[in-house]
Amino acid sequence: MTTSIQDKDYHPKSSVAQLSDESSQGSQRRFVRAFMRNRIAVVGLVIVSIMIFVALFGPLIAPYSPNKTNAADRLQPPGSQYFLGTDEFGRDIFTRLLYGARISLEVAFIAQTISVVLGILMGLVSGWYGGWVDDVIMRLTDALFALPSLVFLIVWVSIMEPSKQSIFISLGLIGWASVARMMRSQVLVLKELDYVTAAHALGATVPQIMLRHVLPNGIAPVIVLASLGVAGVILAESGLSFLGLGVQIPNPSWGSMIDTGRNYFTNAWWYAIFPGITIMITVLGFNFVGDGLRDALDPKQYD
Amino acid sequence: MTKYIGRRILQMIPTLWIIYTITFVLAYLMPGDPIRASLGEEYYRLDPAEIAAMEEQLGLNRPFTVQYLDFLWKTARLDLGRSYIQRENVVDIIGYRLPRTLQLMVGGMVVALLIGIPTGIVSALKQYSWIDHSVVVLALIGLSMPVFWQGLIAQLFLTQSKTGIALFPVAGYGDGQLIYMVLPSLVLGTGLAAIITRITRASMLEVRGQDFIKTAQSKGLRRHTVLVRHHLRNALIPVVTVVGIQVGGLMTGSLLTETIFNWPGLGRAIVPAIQTRDTPVIMGILVYGALIVLFVNLITDLLYAIIDPRIRFS
Repeated sequence: MTTSIQDKDYHPKSSVAQLSDESSQGSQRRFVRAFMRNRIAVVGLVIVSIMIFVALFGPLIAPYSPNKTNAADRLQPPGSQYFLGTDEFGRDIFTRLLYGARISLEVAFIAQTISVVLGILMGLVSGWYGGWVDDVIMRLTDALFALPSLVFLIVWVSIMEPSKQSIFISLGLIGWASVARMMRSQVLVLKELDYVTAAHALGATVPQIMLRHVLPNGIAPVIVLASLGVAGVILAESGLSFLGLGVQIPNPSWGSMIDTGRNYFTNAWWYAIFPGITIMITVLGFNFVGDGLRDALDPKQYD
Repeated sequence: MTKYIGRRILQMIPTLWIIYTITFVLAYLMPGDPIRASLGEEYYRLDPAEIAAMEEQLGLNRPFTVQYLDFLWKTARLDLGRSYIQRENVVDIIGYRLPRTLQLMVGGMVVALLIGIPTGIVSALKQYSWIDHSVVVLALIGLSMPVFWQGLIAQLFLTQSKTGIALFPVAGYGDGQLIYMVLPSLVLGTGLAAIITRITRASMLEVRGQDFIKTAQSKGLRRHTVLVRHHLRNALIPVVTVVGIQVGGLMTGSLLTETIFNWPGLGRAIVPAIQTRDTPVIMGILVYGALIVLFVNLITDLLYAIIDPRIRFS
């Protein structure tokens, strides 16, 4: 029963595109206008765009090499030579932050894609079929909500060896529960609607109904969850790196820079402060965008 | 209602079992050797036969299924076993550390409620004013800061006169003196405060447009009465749910907070337990942690139904 959906070549991304193709130009424009009118959302979009640009082209902007040590210039304060100062090996902190953007965003995007795809699948199956399948999936989500996620991550990463791959896989595997719940509640509403019944009566298969009717109409809140989720994943990854279980040295990661920086806290405050500000601004950008999307998609705006 | 509670408690059993099994499998697969970790240098002086005897004694040489069923059976009878490393019963370890973690969580929760609810209310009452705009942005900033980084900032500026003011101790438990709790609670509570602010604000705005508020106003009730009796009371209902849901997150946050502030809670016990593959300690802490989260969720749902009579147990 469930395999019919999984067998199908299944890309939720493409159905988002399909949504915009299908819906009228007017509502699309209304959505864009509502989003762009929201000043906070636009600021968020700018932050996210800059961060993505930095993640892609950071090495081209970077004034120094990220891992080259320079004992003479260790723990230099921010100034004209080193914009944000240097670390205990004399490496340029600004450069390492630029390289760190690539790691953080890559991990966050891949992990979030895994969660969203998994969550959508689980939610569709759970909501559509109900019964014991629904029970099993809902108990799984209960378990994921009750599991202290950081502990799970620590255990997982220590089995898989800390690396980029093990981090995004583990973050992806524990992050799908809220998407699944949201998708399920959407399916429960949508499957009672006349056009879904009509499609059923016309002989559409379940995967067809899911892709053409249920997914496009139920995806909006999932997109909001996903953009807010990226923010959560970046924070989680930085927490893991802070505990020494993230991307391994000498590769620069924002969380591990804070972890090392705190040893030099009283005489080199910039070392731990700037990576923290970078994480905060990035996460803030995704939160702004997520909030903006939610408000723009919300049919019942306050006031 | 008794029937409802009974069913919810029954539902917890499969959930707990799933958590238990996943964790056990992961703990089994984890690298690390508890015997080597507990012996340290001495490990290399012992001959293999002695080490094998110790493995035998701890039951580490048994097949996976046997170990799993043995653990599960003992846990079901509330026997959490002994730590491989610390030669101490897991119950005692948890008995010492759980109250301290709970203390921190309560502290964080109090901070969150004290900051979150008033700012949410003011922000909604003055919607679109500069106060409201700053609250909205500040709340998002509060949500966007890594907990451990906040801890470092707090330590930098509030604990030493060299870089700030020496108001609070840097770290430690200090025999439970209140002053030691202030900074960890503040740091732990910030994120939750931001969430509560947002929910309170949204809920206040939503309730404002409803008919019973208009009725109360047109009856000629004083503004204050409408606000407290009708507006606030109804607006705070969703806040209860959110607080319940966030207990899990609070627990994760306390793990990081404990690390920074050297707080003797569960978080600081589980990290070394994972490093040394001390399975009884890992399993014990996770079972307790999950139980707390599940029970808080149940209590939240019950409270929700009690304060909002529109909701029925089903």
